[in-house]
Amino acid sequence: MSDRSGAIPILDEPAQPPDDARLYEAVRAIECILFASGEPVRPEQMAEAAQVPTEIVAAALAILRGEYAERGLEVQAVAGGYQLVTRPAYAEAVRRYLGAAAREPLSQAALETLAIIAYRQPITRPEVDAVRGVRSDYILERLEERRLIHVVGRKDTVGRPMLYATTEAFLRHFGLGGLADLPPLERFGQIVSPPEL
Amino acid sequence: MTETRAAPFVVHTATFEGPLEQLLRLVQQGEVDVSALPLAEIAAAYLTHSRAGFDVEEATEAIWTLAALVELKARALLPQPPPPEEPPPEEPGDLDAAMEERVAAYRAFKDVATAMRALETYQQRVFLRPGEEPAGALLTGVALPDLMRAFQEVLARGRERPREVIPEPITLAERMAALMELLTEATGEMAFQALFPGEATRLEIVVTFLALLELIRLARVGVRREGPDGTIQIFLRTNADVHRRMDAVLPGRDAG
Repeated sequence: MSDRSGAIPILDEPAQPPDDARLYEAVRAIECILFASGEPVRPEQMAEAAQVPTEIVAAALAILRGEYAERGLEVQAVAGGYQLVTRPAYAEAVRRYLGAAAREPLSQAALETLAIIAYRQPITRPEVDAVRGVRSDYILERLEERRLIHVVGRKDTVGRPMLYATTEAFLRHFGLGGLADLPPLERFGQIVSPPEL
Repeated sequence: MTETRAAPFVVHTATFEGPLEQLLRLVQQGEVDVSALPLAEIAAAYLTHSRAGFDVEEATEAIWTLAALVELKARALLPQPPPPEEPPPEEPGDLDAAMEERVAAYRAFKDVATAMRALETYQQRVFLRPGEEPAGALLTGVALPDLMRAFQEVLARGRERPREVIPEPITLAERMAALMELLTEATGEMAFQALFPGEATRLEIVVTFLALLELIRLARVGVRREGPDGTIQIFLRTNADVHRRMDAVLPGRDAG
């Protein structure tokens, strides 16, 4: 199984290693922040909370991720920040303990619709319909209800249709650091420019 | 209102005699040929008439009616554009190519969806410490009882629908769409009271309130009040950053 947590470099490694004592203090502080937080923490937030410069945060994160490589938890780069999560391999144990049912996955149609929105956002419903060849009202409504997409404005064309875009919850749902982490569409076959409406 | 005013304005033309509103109605019904109506003369006659006694309400009505007539006449005189906008005529070959492109695009998205499914499956097997609702507060400075109280105030001033009028069906979906429209036109924010027009019936008020609650639940709108005595404001929940980026691209949005 590939460990995707290392796939998204948000910050580059610093050129010069800062002094050790200060760095390891930062590593521990950041570990605590990530543990205490229930959501992704941005490097700037860590720098502010731990009162260290962002270069130290970057170095500390690299060390922390190395340390966690052998543990049950992992540091994941998600939605522009980092979060401490349990490893998927132990999902059953955690689920049994929490008594939580497996989370409802998205339907195939919802996933396809979401893919179209993710790559072509901001996009109107008729534009989504044009790609899918069927009406998408219901799916858009469900996706909006799950907060995976939201309305970001209206397009200046006839009828001023609403424009949809993906949300931060979307990035979290798929464990993406940002939209740039989506695989390039070219890899998936010949792609044409969006139709002019 | 103004009882002292002179007699109402009457149109005298070759094909029609009577009040302006009636003329518009007959034109709309096709009883009077608008293309033969001397609108300039009618307008001039109204101007002369209004000098004798000017009534703002009548003038508003007259200008509106005349404008509607001008529009109808312009439409009648202009050559009719080819009926519904047809897709640009395409050669069968182009059509095939376009079809193929579309299928290719869709296939790519289907494949992407498969890749995204893998990401989802992975992510559904990781657990995070339970945190607070990340979506941001739906209600700021307002508790549900405040909203209910505001609703009851609005409801109390709603009128009963007169019996002789056939009730139009009002659907929740329509009201939701109308509210979104209203908020968008009000550049994203409105006072709670302003969502309910003065002439609204109680049924309309109830359905509008339900639509509002639904929009709050869907996180499409937020509610906020500054201070305990401030007005309750309803605002569109859109991503300000994306908005700004889009405004830079879209032409003709308020240039100021």
